[in-house]
Amino acid sequence: MNSIRRRLTVGLLIGFCLLWAAGGTMLYFTIREELTEEFDRALKATAEGLEALTTQDKGSVDVDFSGEFMPGFARQRFPDYFQMWQDGGATIKRSPSLKEGDLPDRIISSARGPKCWNLSLPDGRPGRAIGIRFVPQMEEDTKNQPSPMKLSEPVTLVVARHRAPLDHRLHLLATALLLVGGAVVVMTGFAVPAIVGRGLAPLKRLEEHVASVDAHSLQLRFPTDGLPTELRPICQRLNELLARLQASFERERRFSADVAHELRTPIAELRSLTEVTLKWPDDAEATQGALQDALAVALQMESIATGLLALARCEGGLLPVHLEPVRLSPLIKEILQPLSDQIRAKLITVSVVVPDDACWLADPTVLRAIFTNLLSNAVQYCPASGSVRLTIETSGQRGQLSVSNTTNDLDADDLPHLFERFWRKDPARSSPEHCGLGLALTKAYAEALAMELRAELTNPKEITLVLSGGQTCPDATRGAG
Amino acid sequence: MRVLLIEDSPRLQTSVGRGLRKAGYAVDIAGDGKQGLWLAESNEYDSVILDLMLPGLDGLSLLRRLRQQENNVPVLILTARDTVDDRVRGLQQGADDYLIKPFALEELLARVHTLCRRRYGRKNVPLVIGDMKIDTVARTVTRAGQALDLAPREFSLLEYLALRRGEVVSRSDIEAHLYGESAELMSNAVDSAISSLRRKLGATDAEPLIHTRRGMGYVLEVKPA
Repeated sequence: MNSIRRRLTVGLLIGFCLLWAAGGTMLYFTIREELTEEFDRALKATAEGLEALTTQDKGSVDVDFSGEFMPGFARQRFPDYFQMWQDGGATIKRSPSLKEGDLPDRIISSARGPKCWNLSLPDGRPGRAIGIRFVPQMEEDTKNQPSPMKLSEPVTLVVARHRAPLDHRLHLLATALLLVGGAVVVMTGFAVPAIVGRGLAPLKRLEEHVASVDAHSLQLRFPTDGLPTELRPICQRLNELLARLQASFERERRFSADVAHELRTPIAELRSLTEVTLKWPDDAEATQGALQDALAVALQMESIATGLLALARCEGGLLPVHLEPVRLSPLIKEILQPLSDQIRAKLITVSVVVPDDACWLADPTVLRAIFTNLLSNAVQYCPASGSVRLTIETSGQRGQLSVSNTTNDLDADDLPHLFERFWRKDPARSSPEHCGLGLALTKAYAEALAMELRAELTNPKEITLVLSGGQTCPDATRGAG
Repeated sequence: MRVLLIEDSPRLQTSVGRGLRKAGYAVDIAGDGKQGLWLAESNEYDSVILDLMLPGLDGLSLLRRLRQQENNVPVLILTARDTVDDRVRGLQQGADDYLIKPFALEELLARVHTLCRRRYGRKNVPLVIGDMKIDTVARTVTRAGQALDLAPREFSLLEYLALRRGEVVSRSDIEAHLYGESAELMSNAVDSAISSLRRKLGATDAEPLIHTRRGMGYVLEVKPA
């Protein structure tokens, strides 16, 4: 039973049935108690009536009994009974309805007076009786006579009545409760599934929505407006998951397309160049140009293969890292030297803020590769007449390198992609000098040195690449390197 | 036949352009999408070879714009994007063919050839006009059973006239379809080519097939006896 709907329906049906049963039972017993008390009050009234009709005169007890005042004792069907005893046990009076039978000489008392009890009547049917003890009152005409002989011992009176009318009413009550309870259970059986279905409708809609999502519809989002409070966080989490999946799929698609372009295009160039040259070898100048192009393509493919291999080595933890003190100022001067022609040609303003004694504990080869990539990227992507800034900052044992350059075409949406392999801002991927592996490799190198590389748009026209986590050299080693 | 190659890789521009020219096509080359669109809108090409990842304007957008202008020039997409989705999208946008890089030059030439034939509603079957038979696949011509030795451009001129057999083809049409935009034509280049072709076709002393319509152009047909 794995369906929530079924579980809720069955649970609610069982719960409601138990509630109805408990409620009906309580109602039955409450009404039965009330009816029985009413029955007992009537029985007690009859007994008290008989007590009032009982008098004594000269030692004898008389019951002024007649069917006119007490028609119940003369009834043919379900007559009432009474029997009166002297204290010694001898019967003084009895109702004609008793005929040959006797009632038990019994009194049950409680704090609130005499109590009724159940018994089997002389005709064998179930009845209910009450017993009282009293001293009969004197006759009116002898009450004021001097020293009359009074009966001082009390007499016992037991009055009994058939339970049949009471039992009949109780039976009707039980039948009515059972019928109504059954009807209510049937209605509950129809109502509960409908209510549960209606209550779970948003869940059902969500289920259908989720089922409709596949790899081609990751742009779908679940509407959260109007949803029950319980489902809203689920939908929000699902939407976030979808957004992440969509981004991941798009990254994967873009990566595949970029790889296809970066690898297929040079192969296509090489193949086309060689096929044309082989087919029409007569033009020496064209053949020479084709060979030069083929060499350039080979170098480009070598660069891609080298980058991919270096990335694979880094990620596989195979990059050898030997930490030693590296003085940063001379390193940066060395790296900037070959870029100077490009800097002059593009009229780029370069500012370098590096303390003379700046020194990091790092692998010199890997650190040089990181710095070279960051600086050459900054110079190459900086537009003409733009500026490049390089700053080294030290805080305690940690150092940070920031390389900023003017940019015209990057925006905040590009930042998450900067370190993806083969990512390029230009969708046409026109420039054969770049394949989009540089920053991915630089980040991998940084991680191999336990540093972090991140990109920030310091203002809409300036991007800064921040290499943080550089371990500064102990003072004793600053002169080395 | 005149072909427009829109490709941003300079090496592919050189090699494919050279291959197409050697095969007898007049070739115009555009290095970005905007220039390619402008050329396609300004000239009448027999087919267009279109890269998808182009600077300026991507290939699919370019194709969409061409089709919106009801320009029905046959377009072959030549791209490194190789997924089924890419191919389906390209064909749905109105491309007539799709070739993935890297490609065999012979295959590219064959496909371009087919597209150019399709431009004139012909399939790659031999064109037969009178006693002349032009095999457009093998690129050979026979007349009265004798093979003729034609230069690639002469073959293209004959093929173009044969595809439009019975129609008067103007000099400017011939220039447009046989010579690239960059070619510097001498004023009598077309007349000279026609003259050379006539000489080779008439070498068998057969009936002339290329007729001059003064002031209008040339028509290739068998004159009724």
